[in-house]
Amino acid sequence: MAKEIIVFVEQKDNEPRKVSIELLSTGRKIANDKGWNFSAIFLGNLDEKVFDRIKRYPDKIIHFKNTYLEHYTPEAFSFVVSEYAKNNNAAMILAGATLMARDFFPRLAVLLSTGIASDCTSIDWGQEPIKLIRPIFGGRVITELSFKTEPIVATIRPNSFPIESPADKDAEIIIQEVDIPDEIVKTESIEVTEPKKGKVDITEADIVVSGGRGLKAPENFKLIEELAEVIGGSVGASRAVVDSKWRDQSEQVGKSGKTVSPKLYIAAGISGAIHHIMGMDTSKVILAINKDPNAIIFNYADYGIAADLFEVLPVMTEEFKKRLGK
Amino acid sequence: MNIIVLVKQVPDPEAIVEVKGDGKGLEVEQKFTMNFFDEFAVEEAIRIREKNGGKVKVISLGGAKTTEVLRKAIAMGVDETLLLEDPNFEGSDGYSTAFVLSKAIEKSDYDLILAGKQALDDDAGEVGPMVAQFLGIPHVGEITRLEVKTDDNMVVVDKVIEGGKEVVKVPLPALLTTQKGLNEPRVPPITGVMKAMKSQIPKMDAKALGLSEEQVGEKGAKIKIERYLPPPKRREVKMIEGEPQEAAKEAVRILMEVERIL
Repeated sequence: MAKEIIVFVEQKDNEPRKVSIELLSTGRKIANDKGWNFSAIFLGNLDEKVFDRIKRYPDKIIHFKNTYLEHYTPEAFSFVVSEYAKNNNAAMILAGATLMARDFFPRLAVLLSTGIASDCTSIDWGQEPIKLIRPIFGGRVITELSFKTEPIVATIRPNSFPIESPADKDAEIIIQEVDIPDEIVKTESIEVTEPKKGKVDITEADIVVSGGRGLKAPENFKLIEELAEVIGGSVGASRAVVDSKWRDQSEQVGKSGKTVSPKLYIAAGISGAIHHIMGMDTSKVILAINKDPNAIIFNYADYGIAADLFEVLPVMTEEFKKRLGK
Repeated sequence: MNIIVLVKQVPDPEAIVEVKGDGKGLEVEQKFTMNFFDEFAVEEAIRIREKNGGKVKVISLGGAKTTEVLRKAIAMGVDETLLLEDPNFEGSDGYSTAFVLSKAIEKSDYDLILAGKQALDDDAGEVGPMVAQFLGIPHVGEITRLEVKTDDNMVVVDKVIEGGKEVVKVPLPALLTTQKGLNEPRVPPITGVMKAMKSQIPKMDAKALGLSEEQVGEKGAKIKIERYLPPPKRREVKMIEGEPQEAAKEAVRILMEVERIL
């Protein structure tokens, strides 16, 4: 039986997660180069729109159904994926490094008696053994690792791989009702506080505009929000302003918050404590705005403006509006 | 109610970490601390014991220096500690670490296991869920609130989900990983520090756990680190000069015309 690469597809607001499309794009290339079968697997209620977006990347889409899969639990999800992997000669299983996949992929690895590489930023499949790249120490060190066992189980940081256009051919669709023994599922969801619809999580955003203590007061974050709005970015925050309750924890970038890797990261009024740098230094382009010309953040930036953010941000917002015709 | 807390000693976030010349190892400044997220686990365990009774036992896998974080846990108020120390444990990955921890846990009485959601040295966040799977118990990741329902032998927790929050109930025994926001870890009182200084830290090695060399550390690991590399160097920062308004406009021009981001 040919080996198989499996991509776990996740959806949000009836759309596939962007990172899922990134991995379907890369999964296609890996499968072609290695001569492997390529399947996408989806657990739970699949929206038609999601299906349309993903159907032209893999050879097969397996949509697993069971009442236990309608709401995520790590026990049920790891069980179903591991059973599929065991029966299909899996060589590699990938998912985006989302909260969900990072929660159940470690269990999946144990069920398959294999290792896991979490939050990887690259895969080099052109050689044997296949190498995976992952940052440690908040990006201050990069590790290159290989697996001693099969399959490779890995979660991949959003924005690590480009999205490619899909092929012309539709995948074979397999809808599969699975058995999940009752005794496996122990956790039970009581209540979900629904995330805001349409809001892009900062880990998947192409552009992040972050503010820090330099904003001076919570209401001044509207300068950050307005700039982010115009350029389609998401709002991030430093630990200082989250600890001061100016902004929600979900926006915190850094050591005790989230790791982001956008195409553009704008840091305004953030000094650049190592805790913050750890969460953003794999961003492609970094622009820092700080009135202190000696602020540490400039050491990690591509571009810097040593000026008062209250004078810079509104002008940037206006200039973008003008140029983008908004 | 008996609680086990898993902690890890990690380099201080400010410690200097450099890749050795041959890329085979790391040079880490000898400044260590208890992993940031583990402090919430220790604190929560102590609070639960203060309310419900029972014992809190802290387990760590590490070298001889790891006694320092176990002493900190004692100073904060835990009842027992256990250091899993063996030269053969070196080179562990998430899998072999979780395997050894689960073997040590199996030898203890427990209702609940708490662990930090992620270690700030290897940033993996794997060991908690892996331990739960090895033990065949459920886990809930990244909790920010914990309520013990002793009568029903279960816990109700708030966990972080993408952009929101979920309330989950889970029967005991279970493993929970702790996220910032769960509590404010206490500063150890002087009496605690005194007690910690005098405490003996019990230790177990692979043999005491009934494990062979092949099952632990580098040999038991499923992942091999091929090499360590320094991060790619970012180009020298280009400061955009001029009056703030001019610099702002120039920044927009660069982002659009040079970097072609928008």
